[in-house]
Amino acid sequence: MLVHVGMNKHKREQQDKLIDSRQVEGVFPSAFSHLSWRHLWRKNRQAGILLFIALVTALLMAVPLLYVMIRSFFAGKERWLKLLDGRIPELLWNTLSLTFLVTFVAVTIGVTLAWLVQRTDLPGRKTWSWIVALPLVIPPYVGAVAYLIVLGPRGWLREVWEKSAWLPGDYPFDMYTFWGIFFVLTMFTYPYVYLIVSAAMRRMNRNYEEVARSQGMNMWQVFWKVNMPLLRPAIGAGAILIALYVVSDFGAIAMLRYMTFTSAIYYQMGSYDNLSATVLSVVLVALTLIILWIEARVHRKGGYSQSATGAYNRPDPVPLGKWKWAAIGFLVVIFILAVALPILVLIYWSMIGWQEGALNSKFWMYALNSLKVSGLAALLSMLLALPIVYLKSRYPSALSSGIEKLSYSGYALPGVIVALGIIFVFNETPLYNSFLLIVIAFVIRFLPQAMQAQEASLSLISPRIDEAARSLGSPPWKVMFRVILPTIWPGILAGGALVFVSSIKELPATLLLRPPGYDTMAVRIWVEASEALYHLAAPPALLIIIISALPLRYMLNRQGKR
Amino acid sequence: MKKTLRYTIIALSVALLLLIAACSGDNDNANQKDGTDSGEKVKNAGELVVYSSRNEKFMEPLLDKFKEDTGIEVKLLSGKDEIINKIKEEGENAHADILISNDIGALEHLRQNGFLQGYDAEGIESIEEKYRAEDNSWYGLSARTRVFMYNKDEITEDEMPKTMAELADDKWKDTFAITRGGNGSMIAHVSALRNEWGDDETLEWLTKVKENAAVITDGHGDIRRAVGSGEVKFGLVNNYYYHQQLNEPTDNNVGVIYPDQDEKDMGAFVNAAGVGFINHAPHEENAKAFLDWIMLPENQREFSYASMEVPINPSVEAVDEAKKISDYKVSDMPLRDLGDVWEDTRALIEKSGLDLEIGS
Repeated sequence: MLVHVGMNKHKREQQDKLIDSRQVEGVFPSAFSHLSWRHLWRKNRQAGILLFIALVTALLMAVPLLYVMIRSFFAGKERWLKLLDGRIPELLWNTLSLTFLVTFVAVTIGVTLAWLVQRTDLPGRKTWSWIVALPLVIPPYVGAVAYLIVLGPRGWLREVWEKSAWLPGDYPFDMYTFWGIFFVLTMFTYPYVYLIVSAAMRRMNRNYEEVARSQGMNMWQVFWKVNMPLLRPAIGAGAILIALYVVSDFGAIAMLRYMTFTSAIYYQMGSYDNLSATVLSVVLVALTLIILWIEARVHRKGGYSQSATGAYNRPDPVPLGKWKWAAIGFLVVIFILAVALPILVLIYWSMIGWQEGALNSKFWMYALNSLKVSGLAALLSMLLALPIVYLKSRYPSALSSGIEKLSYSGYALPGVIVALGIIFVFNETPLYNSFLLIVIAFVIRFLPQAMQAQEASLSLISPRIDEAARSLGSPPWKVMFRVILPTIWPGILAGGALVFVSSIKELPATLLLRPPGYDTMAVRIWVEASEALYHLAAPPALLIIIISALPLRYMLNRQGKR
Repeated sequence: MKKTLRYTIIALSVALLLLIAACSGDNDNANQKDGTDSGEKVKNAGELVVYSSRNEKFMEPLLDKFKEDTGIEVKLLSGKDEIINKIKEEGENAHADILISNDIGALEHLRQNGFLQGYDAEGIESIEEKYRAEDNSWYGLSARTRVFMYNKDEITEDEMPKTMAELADDKWKDTFAITRGGNGSMIAHVSALRNEWGDDETLEWLTKVKENAAVITDGHGDIRRAVGSGEVKFGLVNNYYYHQQLNEPTDNNVGVIYPDQDEKDMGAFVNAAGVGFINHAPHEENAKAFLDWIMLPENQREFSYASMEVPINPSVEAVDEAKKISDYKVSDMPLRDLGDVWEDTRALIEKSGLDLEIGS
């Protein structure tokens, strides 16, 4: 705990210091451009082995992207033109409209929930604070299955509707529409925003709000003029996560018969047409880059930081007054739709499965397979992210930021593309058709989650600590392991947990890369659900939810204590 | 706090090392298994890798029986048509021994591009020649006929369309379900239509059918459930889906139409599901053992039975509900030809926009 106290004291000062040093970096290379290469080299040489590891990692991360690019060159002008003319506009509209709407609504829900839970006198908000984060552990494709059971064309509600006399007309719900997929994706992605914004809200200092209020602003004005600017980076980061998720989701979208770039690519590959798939992928990658570019711009514009002076004061909770019941009602509705209902449905079908002997040795083998690949991916990500993050923060240069950017390349790519890229690269090696390829795919896809978590922790630690350690004669890698690693351990664990949770839920890359006879729980859910064998799909779905929930609880506790 | 931290780090590193060690151990095994020198053949005896684009539920009883009979461990990779793509990607570095496909077109397409190898399995003569490859690198085992399956609560037999061509009529707008054009059975069917009608007419038909369809699904399982529950009036499926739906405890009031049965009509289109022997198969001997084993009449029966398909070998008895192939008029396009026109058909389907289309 000593460590944390120390951190808080120095926090503001260090953040400012960081900003300063970055500005200096920004000026120097351009002013002395003839010096910059030598400068770069000298700086990077210090980092030596770390740089090497980071570079190799980054290259590995970029391999699928390269594969897609290279292959798309061979698609030929004719195919490009045909797709640009016919299919791409439609897919673009499908993908963009869904992404935009889901992101917008999920951000609204996430910020509202975060505010209610963190900043008001809501009864039981400690409990709510982790309950409303729970949908994070329900993969959208599992949510889609649950809602097909409830609302689908052969679902429970339809039966009720048609039997009862007082419900008028035809059955009004159709899950196989834009609104069906919109609803499912929103309900199971808003926690990304909720968690990030909650964390930012916990760090907010009340001094600003007091000043604002003393100037006569009401609660609403304070929220928009004081809180919002400080929250903007957090909201932006959450929104980007959601947008990237929607763009790359395969399972829920395919199950609800919607068509975006990602599902189109999957089907195109199934139809023996890799080249068209690579063309579509290139467009999708461009789309992703645009999303990231928007985020970077927003980030730059919102250059607010909390100043150094004064101690941290936790703001008083806002009294909800007469709105209390409306707020509780909102939370309960979200809880029922995004947590209670899907989980109850899955428990019901798991019971049926259990009675019919679905929990046999095969089931446990699938579970073990899932644990193995996800655990390994989490460990590897924790290790590999560290040098990249450390270099970027402590040895900022064109090279280290390039490495960082390369490492993001697999993040937004749909699993299908990552999988095909991996097959292409590892086809001739003994690794091919071993479960390690799934692990590699997970690392490529989810390493940035570990990086972000570590980066957040690292940014709170003064570079002076490093400098002190180095001045005592330790090389950078030693500083990283002996000094930095123990201090940012919570961030590393949190990153590992995120990667683990994402990995255990991952579907498309696992589907394509699994070696013969090596199914994971995610694959089983997909297979059984597409056959409408819900009693076989529910037990692994429930188990995934339970396993994913364990680290989440831990993470939230951790953040709560800080 | 600090101590616990250090111990956690140490424990985790040890765990990681152990895991890595375990994995590299696995790799060595994999290498040995994949090794092709004869010295390692003994170790190979225990394994057969099967890629399958066929529903896994239909395959499990069959493969379990094979394991029981021979002691050879079967590793099954069950997917959809993307499995064909995987075989092509693997090429000379093949990892699979046997492909089980729902579509002869795909098998012949692979054979023409050098991804299959010939083998005369024992008893291959029991399969009619038009249902196997020139070099016997693949052969069909069960027949699947394209039919209309309808919900008797929603529509009567008299009202139902009787030919494929009728689907393009506006009369049927928003009443039926089909699979997307990327589905293996659909591709083969379109090849047959092209053979009968020519490209222009087929393209027009595809475009109209895409507009008229109420629901376009990825696979046929969804269609049979949609017809059974009355979500749509009828659907274009393979005949055994009708037999399957009949055997459901609920939603089973369904009927079947074998289309194009008139004198002047082309007859129903029959495709076959079968097995292929993959070129450069890592466990060649086991693959041959499998190909011989599956020719035994009881195993041919097992192959067709789980899915309620009709065995191609006439001496193997069919499920009770199933019509024999000889009971109805069948289109005369040789299945083998499906492989030649594979790419062209796909291009035509893509032109119509039905290849990826999914939705309501």
